[in-house]
Amino acid sequence: MIPACPLAALPRGEAYRLDIDPPVAVFHTDDGEIYAVDDTCTHQDASLSDGWLEGCEIECPLHSSRFDLRTGQVDSPPAKLAVRTHGVVVQDGMVYVVPSGAPPNLPPGVTAGRPRSDS
Amino acid sequence: MSSLLATLSGGLYTDEKVFALEQQRIFESMWFCVARAGDLPKPGAFRTVQVGRESVIVSRARDGSIRAFLNVCRHRGARLCTEESGEVRRAFQCAYHAWTYDLEGKLIAAPNLTKMPDVDRVEYGLVNVHVREWIGYVWVCLADEPPSFEEDVLGAVVTRLGDLASIDNYGIENLQVGRRIVYDVKANWKLIVENFMECYHCATIHPELTEVLPEFADGYAAQYFVGHGAAFGNGVEGFTLDGSPGVDRIPGLSEDQDRRYYAITIKPQVFINLVPDHAIVHRMFPMAADRTVVECDWLFLPEVVASGKDLGPSVELFHKVNAQDFDACERCQPAMSSRAYANGGVLVPSEHHIAGFHDWVAGRLGLSR
Repeated sequence: MIPACPLAALPRGEAYRLDIDPPVAVFHTDDGEIYAVDDTCTHQDASLSDGWLEGCEIECPLHSSRFDLRTGQVDSPPAKLAVRTHGVVVQDGMVYVVPSGAPPNLPPGVTAGRPRSDS
Repeated sequence: MSSLLATLSGGLYTDEKVFALEQQRIFESMWFCVARAGDLPKPGAFRTVQVGRESVIVSRARDGSIRAFLNVCRHRGARLCTEESGEVRRAFQCAYHAWTYDLEGKLIAAPNLTKMPDVDRVEYGLVNVHVREWIGYVWVCLADEPPSFEEDVLGAVVTRLGDLASIDNYGIENLQVGRRIVYDVKANWKLIVENFMECYHCATIHPELTEVLPEFADGYAAQYFVGHGAAFGNGVEGFTLDGSPGVDRIPGLSEDQDRRYYAITIKPQVFINLVPDHAIVHRMFPMAADRTVVECDWLFLPEVVASGKDLGPSVELFHKVNAQDFDACERCQPAMSSRAYANGGVLVPSEHHIAGFHDWVAGRLGLSR
């Protein structure tokens, strides 16, 4: 379980980018639900936490792919692969991410592990 | 005093180098009216306009305020918006590499941006230009340090009408565009300003206007005086093509302002006409030494526009005047390069106030006269 941010620092409608490898985006929906998915769009390297949250859907700011935050499934292309979802726990006013054990669906050119200096 | 004063020389109306200097020292340095605020009804609505040498995006941000940006992607310089107007949902995105800017101009996304944490999203946001709203119009200034809006814009109104209350009475910000006509005029912008300032031509080329405003026949424009409105002729019921009654009068006008026509030039590119039941606002967009786009709005009370009343007779009068004026300007433009006009022409006494405009242009360009 990885501490992300205090719940008070994540108002409804906002996102928090947890800078682990690969990074994780935590969303607080307008309905009060909290979801965590890989921050990187599965289509091209872009940050979903910079995207637009509507209901429990996140739209990528670059090419408008849409993902269902509950399942990670693609609701709208150009992305084809689902984004990996993570567990979320809120304890004593703190938001924690429970990282998934599944392999991530990262876009071409992006790999887990810190960016190489020659890339 | 001599009857005749010199105009500018012909070359100042044709030389692209002079035009480039005007773009820099006049249009990019002064407050420049670009759009009706109502043209941008909601966040994401935008227009692109030419201001001097720059294309400018004018748009409404999420908080409802109006913003303006240079229409250039900060990455590799692609034109961001190519349409004249439109609406984006959430952001402006470059069609080249997908650099994406929010409605405040901040860089919010780009491929691999998260791998470049040193890229400051504000520093690499769109270049903002200054914005003011007045009488329901959006004015921009591309200068780093804009001149005083109060002195340059409001001051021009006071110079002509004597005070600001005289224009405030019309409540132009609350009027609604009943008709807009865009004219593509093959003439230098200065010919259009000079034409608008004088009425020596009125009796010759504006027979309909002179019917409505008989005093125009003596050649002295409303702009020759301070606070002077040209009176409607006896038997003229409204500012219409045939003098027939217009539409509902704007409440709030003083008794003096009834049955009168006022005209204001706000340098460098705005003309305003005021009559009891409408206002006419022209914005010029100088595109080249020999080409100027003029966008003209006829504004009426919102309830008049909503009622579907026939605005035709009201619009037709000044539309006809515009067509007559722009024909005259286009008639002059080709002759500006003639050796007969190398040293320019002359201004008769009823045009002498135009010399003030010429001095002003020469001063901005650093020319001696």
